[in-house]
Amino acid sequence: MTIQLDHLIPVPLRDKVLQQASGVWNQALTWQAGQFVKINAPSGTGKTTLMHYLYNIRYDYTGSISLDGRPWPTFSKNEVAGLRQQQLSVIFQDLRLFDQLTAWENINLKRSMSGDQPFCSEERVQEMAGALQVSHILHQSAKTLSYGERQRIAIIRALVQPFVWLFMDEPFSHLDEVNTARAAQLITEECRHRQAGFVLTDLDTDQHFDYHVHHHL
Amino acid sequence: MKIFFQLLHKIIRTGVGRTRFVMAVLGLAIATLLMLVAVQTWADFEQLLYNQRNTSDSADFLVINKKVTHTNSADNQHMFSPAELADLQSQPFVKSAGNITSSQYKVAVAAPGNLQFTSEMFFEAVPDSFIDVQDGDWHWQAGNRLVPIILSNDFLNLYNYGFALSQGLPQLSPESVKVIPMQITISNGAHSEQFIGKVVGFSDRIASFLVPQPFMQWANANYGSGQPAATSRVIVKVTDPSNPALVKYLNDHDYTTNQDKLRHSRTKQVVQIIVSVIGFFGLVLLFFAMLVFSMFIQLIVASCRQEIALLVILGAAPGQLRRFLLRQFSPLYLITGVGALLLAAGLQYWTSKALQGHDFYVSPWVSVYTVLSALLIMAAVYVVNVRSIRKYVALYS
Repeated sequence: MTIQLDHLIPVPLRDKVLQQASGVWNQALTWQAGQFVKINAPSGTGKTTLMHYLYNIRYDYTGSISLDGRPWPTFSKNEVAGLRQQQLSVIFQDLRLFDQLTAWENINLKRSMSGDQPFCSEERVQEMAGALQVSHILHQSAKTLSYGERQRIAIIRALVQPFVWLFMDEPFSHLDEVNTARAAQLITEECRHRQAGFVLTDLDTDQHFDYHVHHHL
Repeated sequence: MKIFFQLLHKIIRTGVGRTRFVMAVLGLAIATLLMLVAVQTWADFEQLLYNQRNTSDSADFLVINKKVTHTNSADNQHMFSPAELADLQSQPFVKSAGNITSSQYKVAVAAPGNLQFTSEMFFEAVPDSFIDVQDGDWHWQAGNRLVPIILSNDFLNLYNYGFALSQGLPQLSPESVKVIPMQITISNGAHSEQFIGKVVGFSDRIASFLVPQPFMQWANANYGSGQPAATSRVIVKVTDPSNPALVKYLNDHDYTTNQDKLRHSRTKQVVQIIVSVIGFFGLVLLFFAMLVFSMFIQLIVASCRQEIALLVILGAAPGQLRRFLLRQFSPLYLITGVGALLLAAGLQYWTSKALQGHDFYVSPWVSVYTVLSALLIMAAVYVVNVRSIRKYVALYS
């Protein structure tokens, strides 16, 4: 699946975007299937806004975002749900776990959403939890977890479903270097396994992945 | 979907407003029961009415005449006009109608020998198909001296128990009346002619002195005024004498008939009113129960709107959420409906047993209409629920 951005301008940041040169805003971009895309963005340049546009949960923009040539507004609610279950996955900056569920249940919710035969086996989930060193907190309520633990649960949750694109908004912001490296390795494995690409936004440049494309927001 | 729905159960708290929900279910149960009882009462009454009615088919015939009042007693206003007759015959509750023709000539009857009975009287005639007396002698053709007559049973009773006893005259059995040949003189003032009258039967249906129609036509032509005979009374065969539409028609046109035969109609009207009132309250209650139901759904969905929004962001389809919510509520009103039906069935069984003690027979089972009503109510509640779930889920997804 290719993602095309065509002169995308967020309405609230319009004046700012038009004054400064940006590698993404108001440009025509195409990301090919399987590409690892890195977007460096200082605070306040609309990093999270871009992610929400890409994942189609905010719509206050001009220009267009197209998946395989089809702009987002042409998809019905059911088609959007289908895409989010089978083709697009996301790690939000604010994580968005359900506090009333345990960590395991949060992961399982996403796993069982498309049916009782999950894409990812229970053993694989345990492996991922082991790799990110969160096995011991899987049955705790999400409310009681630290930010770092939540972030790792959110990463696992994003990886238990089938996808061709993974959107990540500062996915390692609460992790130390060791855990960041482990998480990056896990994400790389899962993307390679699916031949999927990702779009990652962060404040600084980094060497966590072998990026194919770099942009400055 | 099982695991997913189990997890949804922890996220979407259907326990919110539990008392409100219990009230809605209770209201729905009472509403359903009221409506089922109304339908069942109506079915039972129909059953009672028609079972009884089948035993006496004379109730199917009514003699109708205009009310005699101060204003219409003078002239011919109490006669039926052809338009009025046509209108009466065209009513859906009238199977057939026969005009009762009166004599336009003078009739004098004298008993033979030393019985010393003589009286002025009148004749009437109706089409043969409306007569309840079967007798081989009931025919007349021009030239016959013997005229068959059908008397009213009431007349014989009046004579035997009223007149004969007080006047010291002998009482007469129907058999003895049938063998007495009566001298009948018909005249128009100028001419007169004599016949022999023979009573061939007694009618319960028409209170009159009936002669065969051919005789009436001949006599009216030869001894009458020469004008076409007007109709003062009509005998109608009706499908159901307790039909309130029939009673209303009679009242609206100032017609009267034997009120006793309309007695069922009164009862039926009362039962209809009671059934309608119960049914109406049931309907109002059902309406409010459904309103509370959909408000309850609104409450649940609104109280979980953030969770629903996040679920949709994570990829849950609105259809999945709707199915989940529907699955939370539908068993409840299914149970409510079946419970109300079972309760109505129990009541019916008890009613049937109680009525049997009074020699009334109704089926111990609920009627088909009652079961259909229960299904209809459940379907209506289902549709309302599906619609409100669709509406409120769409609002937050």
